[in-house]
Amino acid sequence: MLAQQLANGLFLGAVYALFAIGYTLVFGVLDILNLAHAAIFMATAFAAIALVGAGLPLALAIAIAVVFAGLLGIALDRVAFAPLRARNAGTLVPLISSIGVAIAIGGVARGLFGPGEHRFPSGTLGPLGEGRIHLGALAFSGLDIVILGVALALMGTLAYVMRATSLGRAIRAVAEDRVAAALLGLDLERTIALTFFIASALGGAAGILIGLQYDSVSLEMGSRIELKGLAIVILGGMGSITGAVIGAFILGAVEVLSVAYITSSYRDAVAFGVMFAILVLRPSGLLGKRALRTA
Amino acid sequence: MQLRSFTFIGLLAVLAPLATLAAGGPMTGKTVKIGVVADVTGSAGAYGTSQKNAYDLATDDLKAGRIDAGGATLTFDIEDAASDPAQVINLIQKFSTDGTALLLGPTLSAEAKKADPIAVKANLTVLATSNTAQGITAQGPCVFRNSLAEEQVVPEAMSKAARAWHPKTAAIIYGDDNQFTKTDFEIFKNALEREHIALVDTETYHTGDVDFKAQLTNIASKKPDMLVVGSLLEEAVKIVVQAKQSGIKTHLIGGNGLNSPKFISLAGDAGTGVVIGAAYYLGNNYAGNRGFVDRYKKKFGTGPDQFAAQAYAAAQIVASAVKNGATASDQFCATFKKLNVVQTVLGPVAFQGSRDVRAASAIVRVTKNGFAYF
Repeated sequence: MLAQQLANGLFLGAVYALFAIGYTLVFGVLDILNLAHAAIFMATAFAAIALVGAGLPLALAIAIAVVFAGLLGIALDRVAFAPLRARNAGTLVPLISSIGVAIAIGGVARGLFGPGEHRFPSGTLGPLGEGRIHLGALAFSGLDIVILGVALALMGTLAYVMRATSLGRAIRAVAEDRVAAALLGLDLERTIALTFFIASALGGAAGILIGLQYDSVSLEMGSRIELKGLAIVILGGMGSITGAVIGAFILGAVEVLSVAYITSSYRDAVAFGVMFAILVLRPSGLLGKRALRTA
Repeated sequence: MQLRSFTFIGLLAVLAPLATLAAGGPMTGKTVKIGVVADVTGSAGAYGTSQKNAYDLATDDLKAGRIDAGGATLTFDIEDAASDPAQVINLIQKFSTDGTALLLGPTLSAEAKKADPIAVKANLTVLATSNTAQGITAQGPCVFRNSLAEEQVVPEAMSKAARAWHPKTAAIIYGDDNQFTKTDFEIFKNALEREHIALVDTETYHTGDVDFKAQLTNIASKKPDMLVVGSLLEEAVKIVVQAKQSGIKTHLIGGNGLNSPKFISLAGDAGTGVVIGAAYYLGNNYAGNRGFVDRYKKKFGTGPDQFAAQAYAAAQIVASAVKNGATASDQFCATFKKLNVVQTVLGPVAFQGSRDVRAASAIVRVTKNGFAYF
């Protein structure tokens, strides 16, 4: 049973990680919390349902919806963050403005799709939705494997982009010191826009994958994962992508193990308790930079 | 001449009641305002929408004379509580002060526990149509319900399941943050004890959860003969589907929350064989049910679920009370207490001394095509 529960935690953690990376990426670059991230996560899942419903093959629908999420991210930056950035509005005002955009996106989704649970049309997954794969004592669905594979591939691609491409270097430079990066000739606004594109596309992909995995897309799906995503980001160390991935897998594992060995009633309490304990020991998170106090 | 007089008087005696009927009945000209609090949107939106649909259909049927309110006009003032307890309280405060003669609702037991005391304080008679938790009618001397409580349904369902399946062990999964599902757990647990079925695992979840794999992995490791699902519709569908994905092939049984045509369409093959202890079966042969189902399907494109049937039955009960002279809150309370058996789409119903309903339950099994009696 332990092996099966750890496998459950692995699948859960993979999707948490995709969601949390987007959060931490924006924070790392801009030092702001983008609370509209969960709304984009939800809106992308709805977009994918609409595209599949319109007759597009699932893979194409996912690709278009993910690009849509990225563009929504750029629009979010232009509307909610760029004007405030231009006026040096600090970190609290953009937080509120991102909440405003989140409410607006939620309102549009409610108007277009209505309340309640929505599902991908039956047969969307084809053979992936059928049967179980058995590996020793472990059993999982083909969809579990695909979702884990897609999540890991996206994370791997992001790691490559961040380390080995000029865009990655630009993003890291802006994250390190925005003013210095601008003085060195980097196009600040373009780099920030691309950061929002990547972060939102990853968040959107997580929304679609969760929607597919649990056959459930709803207006509330973003708010359910939002707090967990935020906790993962803080646990991993604000702005640390690797930290967010490790934090996500820790949360996934602790959640399922608390169900297996303590009680399901205290799942969230145990998961957040463990995070609290880690943060007491390492206030800057697992891989976060230690705060420096200067005179 | 005398013969003519007798004939005239005789004719009058025959025609007078007919004339009254032609004019619409003894309550003609009276208008009775009924307040309805339903969760048309939000997490319980599926249930409240069914209730709203049923009152809309009842309004049509009152106008067409298919429901007899003695000629009175009944207006259902349907307000959406949006599955928000604070909104439920606001609406009940509104209905307590705006001349409403009777309150129907709210949708969920947890909401009723918070809101009914306000109506009781304002002397507003309440008829709960979908609250199934314990102690709903005990909240006030004029709180009634026409929904069978879980404790009236579950023991019979469990007894039938025990006879059919001969289970020795069972596991339960239920929502521990909701009054209805918590009540379901307690009642199922007691029913298991009565049938001498050992409870080998108890798992919980929170409303809105979508991932039940960790709990179901635990349950699968205990290999129970039966899995009890104490859940509302949305979570129940996912539990049943994920149970199948987790390799659980045991018998499944659930309560009222699963009794919806949506359960069949959403759970698909995974739902086939699930036994549900409920208050309404769409295919029952009680007077008027066939017509109700047909008209509901025609108007809304889908068959009525239990919530719709209980709401429609409430409209039939209210119409019967109005026909007996009730137009104000205190009159509804008094009339309900002495009301004879009313024929509804749920079958014949009456109120007990506890103001709970006396009616037949419906223990059904999910088949590939719909529900069938178990």
